[in-house]
Amino acid sequence: MKNNLEHEFVSNLEKHQNIVHKICRMYTNDREAHNDLFQEVTIQLWKAYPKFRGDSKFSTWMYRVALNTAITLYRKSKKDLHTQDFDEVSFKIKAEVYDDEVEQQLQLMYKAVKELNDIDKALVFLYLEDQSYKEISDTLGISEVNARVKMNRIKKTLKNILNP
Amino acid sequence: MDELEFLKQNWKKQEENLPRLSYDDIYKMIWKRSSSIVKWIFVISIVELLLSSLLSIYMADANYWAQMEQLHLKEITIYFYIASYLITFYFIYCFYRNYRRISSTDDAATLMQNIIRTRKTVKTYIAYILISTGVYSIVITWFTIQNHQITQEVQDVSKYTFDTMDWVKLAVAGCVILAIILLALWLFYRLVYGILLGRLKRNYRELKRLEM
Repeated sequence: MKNNLEHEFVSNLEKHQNIVHKICRMYTNDREAHNDLFQEVTIQLWKAYPKFRGDSKFSTWMYRVALNTAITLYRKSKKDLHTQDFDEVSFKIKAEVYDDEVEQQLQLMYKAVKELNDIDKALVFLYLEDQSYKEISDTLGISEVNARVKMNRIKKTLKNILNP
Repeated sequence: MDELEFLKQNWKKQEENLPRLSYDDIYKMIWKRSSSIVKWIFVISIVELLLSSLLSIYMADANYWAQMEQLHLKEITIYFYIASYLITFYFIYCFYRNYRRISSTDDAATLMQNIIRTRKTVKTYIAYILISTGVYSIVITWFTIQNHQITQEVQDVSKYTFDTMDWVKLAVAGCVILAIILLALWLFYRLVYGILLGRLKRNYRELKRLEM
């Protein structure tokens, strides 16, 4: 029974691991911290898995646990805040599809998002993941109206960062 | 076009460049230990209790108790020990309860509220340690001054008689020493728990601000 649960969990997480990687990339600045956070998220997910009843999608449930871990439960090391291993930070897309200018613009945009605080970052992340405002407000525990208002403010902030 | 919209349109395309873990990699991870903030608060409180118990057992040898007896402090010290262990155990229970209550599946606001409650417990605990250390030091000093004449054979009484100035000096020196000890303790706790809780406080404020 236990082994079944383990197998089910690991398979699910393997399938949806991109979500966790994207969150790790957003909240950390080097490979080591990325792996640390991934591991902590995995542990938190596994600890909570017996309570996961399947009434929501595994991926939806994952957003919540993974973001919670990134913004509250995970201890950020000081190193994260200072070193910037650019390779890990940058937004990488398939090189041949885009010309340099587009890719550069995307990277600048991504860098600006990374400058936001933990909570704003969570909002933006869910938005980029195409979550509805209802889902965003559920995950963060704020009202839908607040999520919208906040999102508009963030858009302005980003605009200011990019066009000073 | 909206900058964020532009990023959103291209968001999915980064997935090909994300790291990829195998089934086995993930399987191994679920057996690793969690290093979450709340767990560390719980662990540190227990380690602290163990260390302080060991220290007090090590220091409280027969000699120490004989001295306490001479100063009529034995009873008070015993009561103080009992009270402080009871209170410490109560705090450990609180830390444990907080630790159990916190669930990563809550929404972020609820989760953070629970962690802030843990923070409050930590703060109360530190206040308790500081106050009890202060009170205990004052009581011990008071009793020592009251009773020390009984224990010493004094030949030249004038040498040991304090005038008002001496008492003031003694009181000031005592207060300074006590203040330094308390400050050191406070700094120690700030360091241990402050590191764990600093970022959380910022995030909580941010969430609160969202609701305004």
